[in-house]
Amino acid sequence: MGLPRMKRTARHSFTGSITATSVERDPTLSRFPENPLKRDVQPPDLFPSPLRPLLPFPFVWLSGRRPISGREVVGGAKMAEETLAMRTQFPASAESQKPRLKKAQEFPILEKQNWLIHLHYIRKDYEACKAVIKEQLQETQGLCEYAIYVQALIFRLEGNIQESLELFQTCAVLSPQCADNLKQVARSLFLLGKHKAAIEVYNEAAKLNQTDWEICHNLGVCYIYLKQFKKAQEQLHNALHLNRHDLTYIMLGKIHLLEGDLDKAIEIYKKAVEFSPENTELLTTLGLLYLQLGIYQKAFEHLGNALTYDPTNYKAILAAGSMMQTHGDFDVALTKYRVVACAVPESPPLWNNIGMCFFGKKKYVAAISCLKRANYLAPFDWKILYNLGLVHLTMQQYASAFHFLSAAINFQPKMGELYMLLAVALTNLEDPENAKRAYAEAIRLDKCNPLVNLNYAVLLYNQGEKQGALAQYQEMEKKVHLLQDSSSLEFDAEMVDMAQKLGAALQVGEALVWTKPVKDTKSKHRTTSTSKAASLQQPLGSNQALGQAMSSAAAYGKLPSGAGGTSHLTKPPSLPLEPQPTVEAHPNEASAQIREK
Amino acid sequence: MAAASSSDSDCGRAESNEASSKWLDAHYDPVANIHTFSSCLALADLHGDGEYKLVVGDLGPGGQHPRLKVLKGPTVLTESPLPALPAAAATFLMEQHEPRTPALALASGPCVYVYKNLRPYFKFSLPQLPPNPLEQDLWNQAKEDRIDPLTLKEMLEGIREKAEVPLSVQSLRFLQLELREMEAFVSQHKSKSIKRQTVITTMTTLKKNLADEDAVSCLVLGTENKELLVLDPEAFIILAKMSLPSVPVFLDVSGQFDVEFRLAAACRNGNIYILRRDSKRPKYCIELSAQPVGLVRVHKVLVVGSTQDSLHGFTHKGKKLWTVQMPAAILTMNLLEQHSRGLQAVMAGLANGEVRIYRDKTLLNVIRTPDAVTSLCFGRYGREDNTLIMTTRGGGLIIKILKRTAVFVEGGGEAGPPPAQALKLNVPRKTRLYVDQTLREREAGTAMHRTFQTDLYLLRLRTARAYVQALESSLNPVSVTAREPLKLHAVVQGLGPTFKLTLHLQNTSAARPILGLLVCFLYNEVLYALPRAFFKVPLLVPGLSYPLETFVESLSDKGISDIIKVLVLREGQSAPLLSAHINMPVSEGLAAA
Repeated sequence: MGLPRMKRTARHSFTGSITATSVERDPTLSRFPENPLKRDVQPPDLFPSPLRPLLPFPFVWLSGRRPISGREVVGGAKMAEETLAMRTQFPASAESQKPRLKKAQEFPILEKQNWLIHLHYIRKDYEACKAVIKEQLQETQGLCEYAIYVQALIFRLEGNIQESLELFQTCAVLSPQCADNLKQVARSLFLLGKHKAAIEVYNEAAKLNQTDWEICHNLGVCYIYLKQFKKAQEQLHNALHLNRHDLTYIMLGKIHLLEGDLDKAIEIYKKAVEFSPENTELLTTLGLLYLQLGIYQKAFEHLGNALTYDPTNYKAILAAGSMMQTHGDFDVALTKYRVVACAVPESPPLWNNIGMCFFGKKKYVAAISCLKRANYLAPFDWKILYNLGLVHLTMQQYASAFHFLSAAINFQPKMGELYMLLAVALTNLEDPENAKRAYAEAIRLDKCNPLVNLNYAVLLYNQGEKQGALAQYQEMEKKVHLLQDSSSLEFDAEMVDMAQKLGAALQVGEALVWTKPVKDTKSKHRTTSTSKAASLQQPLGSNQALGQAMSSAAAYGKLPSGAGGTSHLTKPPSLPLEPQPTVEAHPNEASAQIREK
Repeated sequence: MAAASSSDSDCGRAESNEASSKWLDAHYDPVANIHTFSSCLALADLHGDGEYKLVVGDLGPGGQHPRLKVLKGPTVLTESPLPALPAAAATFLMEQHEPRTPALALASGPCVYVYKNLRPYFKFSLPQLPPNPLEQDLWNQAKEDRIDPLTLKEMLEGIREKAEVPLSVQSLRFLQLELREMEAFVSQHKSKSIKRQTVITTMTTLKKNLADEDAVSCLVLGTENKELLVLDPEAFIILAKMSLPSVPVFLDVSGQFDVEFRLAAACRNGNIYILRRDSKRPKYCIELSAQPVGLVRVHKVLVVGSTQDSLHGFTHKGKKLWTVQMPAAILTMNLLEQHSRGLQAVMAGLANGEVRIYRDKTLLNVIRTPDAVTSLCFGRYGREDNTLIMTTRGGGLIIKILKRTAVFVEGGGEAGPPPAQALKLNVPRKTRLYVDQTLREREAGTAMHRTFQTDLYLLRLRTARAYVQALESSLNPVSVTAREPLKLHAVVQGLGPTFKLTLHLQNTSAARPILGLLVCFLYNEVLYALPRAFFKVPLLVPGLSYPLETFVESLSDKGISDIIKVLVLREGQSAPLLSAHINMPVSEGLAAA
């Protein structure tokens, strides 16, 4: 190593000159008006080092380079020879340099504190940031572009979008070639709801920078708001092509959802999950979409994944919990709901689901209080009213049930099962005329649920109208056949039992349609009523009808709109409510998701 | 244990959350007056005596009085003012020979100040940027007075809008001036050559040619003009220059300069660029969707903290590995390296006053501090190998020592189900009243239902009757007839015995004015006296509200009040169009007298 030695020599000569109490003047000093030369006039005890004795005179910074053989010194630094040459003109004292420094008027470097502004900004220490910006702008007379830029970003975060827009426009004037400024102008326009103007500015920015995914993404989002889904898709696909981001996938999926194309949306979300397997929002959305399509296995898988990464994810817990309820795992579902109850204590769907969990566990009083809380939180939600009606029917509080059900019908007049439940309530309130009218309405609205016909047949039979009962019984058989053709599912045991009894009573018993007369374990607790039903002339038990009603209640949650809902009579009663509200909530949130930079 | 023992007296103040903590509280000074960033903290054996010192590039309160502080144990050893705010501090070995005392480099503005033995040793200034040749030409012409200020301004304006190379500050200032100030400005500044200077935004060190702990290192600088420079440790010349698409904020380097190295630079545009030895341009790019707040390399994984309160792990080729969500905003990050156990982990100081330590995505430890930690540094301090140094937002200094028995195990932080899962659901209890009511409903449900329905019908009937009656007797204050759509409302003002009664009459039809209306008051003449009980209403223009005022004198001194009826009539019809009943207030004036 030749270099060290050379350096050492240089250093020696330097200290040598110092001990001779001569101060060498650095030619570069005048270029740095507020550089460490201030030290020259300050007391020398800057570094009271315990090891070395203090030097008796002020220091001078050496900016010159030591001679290094064979190397070119790059960039404006002074050669060592210069330094050496300077050494000859010893200034008398350090003080004498000061006036010289002042004389040369210098402009401060515009970007001097950009790094500090940026550090404060990313730490979200906006007060400190604003103070530095103010100082910087004063010093540079408003020329520091970055300071203005960050000030505008802060304004936007504080909600002063108009002001931020103006500042970004100033930035765009200061450096017209910068795509970033235009992007921010467009973003502020977007936030102000001026989507068309934003698109124009984004297009300008795209001319300056063709490979920015963000421009394409945001253009796509603007087009979504303008309802131009084709163009939006095009832009979002462009963005994905440039660089893949979760947000772009989410927006693309939303377009498909807005267009009602579930399959395409699922495809997009699948790709997104592949790309970013730990994004809980993507996982939850995909799970909910599968749930909507009735693909429970996959739905549960994705929701479960979402919960592994974020055990407090509200949407995922509600959806997964509702699936557990469908399978009768009420206790597990309840444990999961506790987490949500802590995080979002005022969520109506949550309390509805908790209520239905208790219902499933036959804790009816708790069920009612939870449902009533849900109803208090969302008084216009007919699903909660439906459940309340159902639970009150079970509790034999028919008068209350009537009120909840009629309230539900007022909000949702197109739902056959509601009328059926109302009819059950009316039957028990000894108003058969109105009950019949309600059944008629239910049959008119609901074309595929055999329960409606069965319950109606029971009522008619009990009223002594055998002819009508027979007609309804045959209608029910038709529906059962239809359902059996389309799927190989089992019917609710209690319903089968009841139908058989009624068939026997009407003396059509042999034409049984049920493939498997299931061992009826579940209806044991209602033996009294079944026995009543068995003695033919007795009115068929009200509880009986209710059991049916409950199974139908279980069914309806999975019935999207009555059409094609085939797989719903198998599962024990659980909650009608869940998947729908969460999924429905989705499109509304579309606006909030745009990237904040 | 010099640091620990000397600060024993302070230990009482420092609070320990758990006795089982992995950390010993060595020192806590809430008013140490240190305001800095993690990049401005460095630990080094500055005097070569085996006693490690802490170097702090202190920004000072409010960034006003930048100082260089050197701490030994809990005390400040030296303190000296700095010419400008320090952007980064680093310690590195400049040369091979003994004693191997590391030099201290402090980046500030356009310069790097190098100290040896804590004494100023060398100042490196960034080279000037080449000025725009057109601009240079213009100023040269100005110097020779061959161009007048106005033309100069126009030309410069043209350059600013198009040119790749930005203008110098001098020209930008000039462009801002008013016409009359230009002359003076030009004559004052024309003789100077125009300059463009940039500043250092970040700095780190890179081993020169050996991977050893005490090998000579180069300085790596990031500058405001989107460049990375590697400096030779001895001659301070620029060994390599790389350019980036944006301004670097954080740097992380591994490898050796002469062999092979990887450089990751987190930039202001939210991207992280990864460069290698032979690449002048970035080789890989990681696009975050938020700004990075810290960049730390743990073994081969790049850990990035983002402003979306999350930590992301990336491979050195830019592939995303994992994401961990933080409970609060990340303020600063640094590396924790425990040589004795071969542990490398990431420390993140959060805005909620926690310092979280992660190995990959598993949380190892959470340290709770009395104030939000804004800068962190882990390493050998004093004579203690594993010391954690933290400074807080309020300028406090916390020093903790890792216990020698402490082992970081996974699940040291939070694990398992969230704590909320153990909480009981808040379900209201059933009351006696509720049970009674339920039983009653079960027994008499039908009767209740019938009574309710009957009452409901009765209620509806009565409502309908009352409505019909009101319509028939025109008692309503809004006329519904097609010909005279009118609205009336009345206001009574005053305490009595004289009241002012104002009727506001409005024609609500779209276009048709109404003419020929009369107003008539019906009242008990024993109690009240009105100057005019009957008068004509002027023409009512559609939409306007006409106030019709009249005085009412209360005659009774018994403190009783009565109703005054107002009728609006059409000329020639006996049935009123509208009527209003005004409940007069009791005359207070009379009662008081």
